[in-house]
Amino acid sequence: MAYADIAAFFPILLKGAVVTVQITLGALLLSTVLGLLLALMKRSPLTPVSALAGTFINVIRGLPIIVQLFYIYFVIPELGIDLSAFQASIIGLGIAYSAYQAENFRAGIEAVDSGQIEAAKSIGMKSALIMRRVVLPQAIRIALPPYGNTAVMILKDSSLASTITVAEMTRAGQLIAASTFQNTTVYTMVALMYLALSLPLIFGVNRLERFFAKSRQGADQ
Amino acid sequence: MIAIDHIHKAFGATQVLKGVSLEVAAGEVVCLIGPSGSGKSTVLRCINGLESYDSGTITIHGQTVDVRRSDIHCLRTRVGMVFQRFNLFPHRTVLENVMEGPVFVKGESRAEARQHAQALLEKVGLAEKQTAYPTQLSGGQQQRVAIARALAMRPEAILFDEPTSALDPELVGDVLTVMRDLAAEGMTMVVVTHEMSFAREVADRVCFLHGGQIVEEGPASRVLSEPRNARTQDFLRRVLDH
Repeated sequence: MAYADIAAFFPILLKGAVVTVQITLGALLLSTVLGLLLALMKRSPLTPVSALAGTFINVIRGLPIIVQLFYIYFVIPELGIDLSAFQASIIGLGIAYSAYQAENFRAGIEAVDSGQIEAAKSIGMKSALIMRRVVLPQAIRIALPPYGNTAVMILKDSSLASTITVAEMTRAGQLIAASTFQNTTVYTMVALMYLALSLPLIFGVNRLERFFAKSRQGADQ
Repeated sequence: MIAIDHIHKAFGATQVLKGVSLEVAAGEVVCLIGPSGSGKSTVLRCINGLESYDSGTITIHGQTVDVRRSDIHCLRTRVGMVFQRFNLFPHRTVLENVMEGPVFVKGESRAEARQHAQALLEKVGLAEKQTAYPTQLSGGQQQRVAIARALAMRPEAILFDEPTSALDPELVGDVLTVMRDLAAEGMTMVVVTHEMSFAREVADRVCFLHGGQIVEEGPASRVLSEPRNARTQDFLRRVLDH
């Protein structure tokens, strides 16, 4: 493993890492918005609305993410909608993870004590206000640790975008390795750079989990 | 002010209320007592529409309480409720808990709501706890904040659902003192309670429920000292021996 190689590869991989972070953040944002929407739809008293959300969640969870990416990248353009590989990867991962986010949010919403909703009703709040002021702020705290875990998974699965030609970190590594045959150096660097991104996130999630476990204990006393 | 007329209510196959009727006049304090499962909490929860009823009518100043009607939210602002387990909003401070309804339901200005909330917290003896979060308070303090939260809506009546049942014995007194003061000020109150001495001292009227019916009702002193119904006698003997 030559230091000259490392110095030469690093800027290229760093460029890839920037794309990796962009895809991760984009997909996280999209999955959050869609996931929240799906969670609220699934709790709707209107059966068609909740059934639609339920079916969507099951279909998405039943499909490999890579197939969803291929579908969005190769099939959607045939319908006349032009998507760059970068856009397709964000949309694909965002939709794929919206199903998991919906379950995170749903679990969080359902974990809010029913007494909270009754107290809110007793001061005259209507359902939308109860959701906004009472349920969601508490549900988000409960859902935050699993949300963090989902973020870690999205970060790792952003490497799937390499299969649809997005030059993120994994793809950048593949390209360097293919032209230099420095497989050990390149993939060790790629692995370490993923860890540099994911480990702080994982530690953050662990801290959050401990914090919330402690504050819940306090609430029981 | 509150008129309950022959309400029936079933949870699945279990009939929990079998024709309960009760009139509460403005300024009156009515205590509902009875064994657990007698339906007393359900009656209370029907009054502000937290529970629906199957037949009969409940009116507040002539306005029908019906969960399906859109005026239910408005009705609830006129009848406050205090819960057994306080149900304060854990993510908001004491002051924010009290201001929540006036600001977000009634649309009062923050300044006005804060002033009123501070005055109410002073009244329940918790002026210095404004910035605390509910988990930092004792049960008795939390329940007094809950009473302030209900009062902040300037209700015409307050329903209390076993307000001291979840409290350690030494914390009950402060909550009862606040309730006693409210009664003295002329607040209309319906109280589900096991505190017989409170009922005897504060209530104008006591209703004893058994099996989803009011089997005895009358002035507190009479019902608690000389119960006529065998079931009331039996219940009081067990509660007072305790």
